[in-house]
Amino acid sequence: MKAEPRTILRFLLEYFDIITDLYDTQSQEGVITFEVLNQITEKHGFDIKIQLLEYKILSNVKENFEIRTVYYDLIEFILSEFKPMLPETIEKYHVSIAELFRKIREHIHGDKVILNQRINELSNEIRSFYEMVEKNTISLLNETRELKANVKKVDYREKIIRASRWIDEYIIPLNKILDINHSASIANKLYDVSEFSNKYRLNFDDENTRVNFEKLYFQLIQVNDNLLHQSKILTNELLPLIERIRTESIILTGWITYLKNPYKQKSPRILKRKEITVYSPSTFFNAAELFEQFKNDEVIYFEEEENEAEKWIFDKEHYTQKLKENLPVDNFFKWCNNTLKEDYKKVEIEKFFALTSLAFDADLQLEYTAKPEYEKIKINDLTLTVPKIKINQHGIS
Amino acid sequence: MEFPNHHRQIVEDLMAGKFILPTERTFEVLNENEEFYTQFFKASFNYDLKFSQDYIYMVSDESNEMLSRDICIFIALLSYELDRDGKNFLERIQYSEFEVEEIENYFTNSSYIDLILSTKQLKDAENRRNFINTLNRRNIIEKVGDNRFVFTSAHKFFMSFAADIVKFENVSE
Repeated sequence: MKAEPRTILRFLLEYFDIITDLYDTQSQEGVITFEVLNQITEKHGFDIKIQLLEYKILSNVKENFEIRTVYYDLIEFILSEFKPMLPETIEKYHVSIAELFRKIREHIHGDKVILNQRINELSNEIRSFYEMVEKNTISLLNETRELKANVKKVDYREKIIRASRWIDEYIIPLNKILDINHSASIANKLYDVSEFSNKYRLNFDDENTRVNFEKLYFQLIQVNDNLLHQSKILTNELLPLIERIRTESIILTGWITYLKNPYKQKSPRILKRKEITVYSPSTFFNAAELFEQFKNDEVIYFEEEENEAEKWIFDKEHYTQKLKENLPVDNFFKWCNNTLKEDYKKVEIEKFFALTSLAFDADLQLEYTAKPEYEKIKINDLTLTVPKIKINQHGIS
Repeated sequence: MEFPNHHRQIVEDLMAGKFILPTERTFEVLNENEEFYTQFFKASFNYDLKFSQDYIYMVSDESNEMLSRDICIFIALLSYELDRDGKNFLERIQYSEFEVEEIENYFTNSSYIDLILSTKQLKDAENRRNFINTLNRRNIIEKVGDNRFVFTSAHKFFMSFAADIVKFENVSE
């Protein structure tokens, strides 16, 4: 590298806007074409293509360009614009950490130089592993929050797909890596490393190695705390949030589909109410009464009861004639009773009183003693006490 | 014969088409006597009792299609309008109070106005007010004043119906 480190750093600072644009292009397109490189530099008014290549910020890929990994990672870190990585990528640390740990354990009493080198490399791998986990959590959180706010107006169906993908492909596998209770997880492996280094940081004949184990042990305490924190973010914040986005999107997509034509869709079954009062013992009678009052409203009619007494009409003329024929009558009331008995099997009191009204005929000459004489007449169950009246003649005869 | 506690209340509420909610004392009794009540309603009325952790309800062979459809339209429109308004519709429906006036604003300004006008129970403010009372009688909402209400956990019955639309669509695809 010809240029001075400070020159490169100053260059990065001075043309940071151009470098950011190039970074965005590569993030989205994968490469930077020659045309795009020209467009970006022209837009900012600086032709810095030569320096970009000279300072090894860009490298040639056939006829296109790409930002070298070291600069790409630097800018990504500075901008905190990490892309979520598939857990398979992180999983590779499981192999490297496990392998280094196995060798340290097996050759613990071997060459001290190699042992210390392995401890240092194990420490580096653990650091890289943690940084990758942290980057992934941050990137997933950013992506999720962006999806939640839906600034890019992502379609509901696309939201479901993205949310499902992140849950199934990123978060759940990442959580497995961080699950200390899972025997195959990296976190579990780190726990073993921690216990091992704790033992040898206190009990090893070489002081330098003891110091290295001590550093590794305290690094692991910190890393374990941080991993626990990351795991909590995933399970307590990210997973519920993303699960909610997925549920919301599914429901809303369902409603929008439903609203397109609710009359063609089947609706959920709910009870059709019937007006039954289950418990009232008088339900039947109340209902019968209610319906009958409408039912009878038109057809009901009242039939007057037959009244025989009223139907019987006193034939005054007939009985006056009969009285005349029987004159003189010694006992008028007795005559009434006997006459009725002759005409009817049963003598009603009404008929009796009707017949006695003849006594008021002005043409009749009544005769009775100064001191009234009474006698009893039985009409059915009724016993009447009546005066004895004599009728001698009718009219002036 | 002995019946569980609150038996009459349980029968009357379910026969009235109400959703029984976890906040009600009858919910626990029903859960404790799930087998009895399932058989009781089946044998007595040929009705099916459905249990979930958020509600218990009853269904008959003959469903109240019209009411069910109108409830779906009501919740679907509200969800859609809340989302369009930038609100988290699930959270709002689950945890917040609604004012009738707010509902009116959403419905009168909705782009689904044709559908609203063709739905008898939702077509105008008066019908909507009556409809809200119907929802209250069915325990889908709970009125907290003349003009305010909250959704009960029974709303999840309709939300899971909406989710099923997508699931079944995907299956058929």
